[in-house]
Amino acid sequence: MKKIALFCSAGMSTSLLVTKMQKVAEAKGIEVSIEAYPEATMETELDNVDAVLIGPQIKYLLRKLKKICDEKSVPISVINTMDYGMMDGEKVLNQALKMME
Amino acid sequence: MDTIEEKLMPIAEKLATNRYLLAIRDGFMLAMPLLIIGAMSLLLAYLPIKGYEPFMAKLFGSNWMDFFMVPYHATMAIMTVFVILGISNSLSKYYKIEGMSTAVISLTGFLILTPFFTMFTAEGSKIAVKVGGVIPMEWISSKGLFVGMISAIIATEIVRFIINKGWVIKMPEGVPPTVAKSFSSLIPATITIIIFNFIRLGFTFTSFETIHNFIFTILQVPLTSLGDSLGATLVANFFIGLFWSFGISGGDVVQSVMSPVWIALSGDNLTAFQAGLALPHIITQQFNSIYLWIGGGGATLGLCLLLLFKCKSQQCKKIGKLAILPGVFGINEPIIFGLPIVLNPIILIPFILTPLLLAVVTYISMKTGIVPRPNGVIIPWTTPPIIGGYLISGARGAILQAIEIVISIFIYLPFITVVDRTYCEQEEAYTQAELAETIKE
Repeated sequence: MKKIALFCSAGMSTSLLVTKMQKVAEAKGIEVSIEAYPEATMETELDNVDAVLIGPQIKYLLRKLKKICDEKSVPISVINTMDYGMMDGEKVLNQALKMME
Repeated sequence: MDTIEEKLMPIAEKLATNRYLLAIRDGFMLAMPLLIIGAMSLLLAYLPIKGYEPFMAKLFGSNWMDFFMVPYHATMAIMTVFVILGISNSLSKYYKIEGMSTAVISLTGFLILTPFFTMFTAEGSKIAVKVGGVIPMEWISSKGLFVGMISAIIATEIVRFIINKGWVIKMPEGVPPTVAKSFSSLIPATITIIIFNFIRLGFTFTSFETIHNFIFTILQVPLTSLGDSLGATLVANFFIGLFWSFGISGGDVVQSVMSPVWIALSGDNLTAFQAGLALPHIITQQFNSIYLWIGGGGATLGLCLLLLFKCKSQQCKKIGKLAILPGVFGINEPIIFGLPIVLNPIILIPFILTPLLLAVVTYISMKTGIVPRPNGVIIPWTTPPIIGGYLISGARGAILQAIEIVISIFIYLPFITVVDRTYCEQEEAYTQAELAETIKE
């Protein structure tokens, strides 16, 4: 099963988005596991992860976080600001699925 | 706007990736659950309800308070120990050296700098007697925080320096790796202890006698009294708003600098609260997280209510519905990115101004004594309003929070009305265009 990890500063607002993404995945019958974590723990949470998405509020950390992801060759990208604000589970899930293609 | 963003991003990145600030943040993160548990136990020992104390004494005997005070003493009251371990472990991880052994060496270094005696004045006597064989709680509480942070960083740097130089005991081949490992931290530990011992010795020749007295007087007191001022609080909160304006999580960035000071201030108040003394500070960690950031940075809970009950556009209503529940717990990314507040010049004005105005209101109401000062109890920043105010300043704290929500509603009202009208017009234009399209077909 594919694994998607979302990171933000405390892992709280992304966890909100995770539940929305899970609902969409379930409805569409896509088998995927999605989890939210605080960015400080990224180094230990990357095992078996296929795609990393980060909240726009920590975009300023992209350089540092990309380095961590590159070491484990996991793709990373920043969630679209508006999709994040509207907690649009479908669009963010699509963004993640595209990254794993 | 773009140029400001270009300037702010690197500042945020620098602050958030500075290895020392990062380590200090991690240190406090490690201690945080313990601080919350300790503060809550203290609160349960001194619940501000009439008749609580005699009731508990009757129920559980005269020593009932120990049940809550012992956990307080084992957590919050000795917080510097946990902060040291956390800082050193985090910095070691950054340098990719062994975290656990380095953290223990750091703690040892700190303890070498700490006097193992205390001055005790017996009841009825006027002369203070030197009592040996103790580690004074005073210096491992929030009062020793700055020495703790400095010790952890210096000790970790010494260990890294020695390991990088390759000055470690090397075992001949054939010695089991675990055995070899048990010797590997021997040289770094010895050298660290010798250096710290000389630092300790050096201070005995000064009028301060210990580095604790020195750092506390020349660094911690000035820094915390600066942090305790309304001016510094306004500046800190202005920057939080400014960073958020560009979508950078300002709370994190600013707190990476301010948290040690704010938590030290909370600790001071809690110590006084426990001793039944007047609370020394107005500004604390909770002053900010509970009274100024109601609903998240920018005090957006009032704005959520406006979106839900006052706005007419679909966009506003939808965001309101989405944001209200997380908002109650102080999480407001949906509103910040969804409304959006980021790069929205109209709504940015109240977003930056509201916390500043709330700071002034809260400060004045505490300075004049209308509302009790924060008791220093550290509660999670996700504690919903009213409950949060009650826990840190009693019933009047809860009322103050309610008033603050009303104030924030009035500040946001004129601005969100403008935004809502624009959205309404856009939505109407959109439906009309759609209508015209269907008629054409």
